[in-house]
Amino acid sequence: MIVVNLDVMMAKRKISSGELAAKVGITQANLSILKNQKAKAVRFSTLNDICKALDCQPGDILEFRED
Amino acid sequence: MRYNDGIIRWAKIATVMFIAMVVVADIFGIIITRYIAYCWAEVFDMLRVVILTVVFYIGTVGGYFILISLFKLLSNMSKDVVFDRKNTKLMAVITGALVGIAVDCVIGGFIWNGSWILAILALFMGLIVLSVKVVFDKAITMKEEMDLTI
Repeated sequence: MIVVNLDVMMAKRKISSGELAAKVGITQANLSILKNQKAKAVRFSTLNDICKALDCQPGDILEFRED
Repeated sequence: MRYNDGIIRWAKIATVMFIAMVVVADIFGIIITRYIAYCWAEVFDMLRVVILTVVFYIGTVGGYFILISLFKLLSNMSKDVVFDRKNTKLMAVITGALVGIAVDCVIGGFIWNGSWILAILALFMGLIVLSVKVVFDKAITMKEEMDLTI
């Protein structure tokens, strides 16, 4: 399964959910869906904006783990 | 959306009228089944007439399930609740009731041949409703995935 390590990266960058949501241009509710592993898919544009806001690579946010 | 609202309103009125027709059929059920038995099926022994009456009343129970589910379905549509699991459950109830009516009509077919045609029609309608249900299920799954795409 694909695990979203967004909260880890956010903690590293010391950025709040509200701040990140504002920078990426998504709602806090959607950011919460992403953080809680509830998302079914992530658009490349959203991933691009998150990586830009957190100054990281997609691999820092997404991780593959065996079920 | 106004055009669709009109269709839904008329469909609801038609459904209520059909419910009223089934109620009337229930009230005069014994007369109707006797007419079918004596005039159409040309059956005169009491046992078979009673079986035909029971088959008729079981069929009308199925009719109530279908019509009430249809009314709820149309009410959901008028409230803009379209791609919802509630609607697919109602469609499943309609399909089940239609299959039940088909089985009921097959039993009736042994007494009156016209009942076979009703059984085939009920099964055919059940197949159509089942197909629509599958389409709705797919659409709901796609909608859920879309809603959870960030």
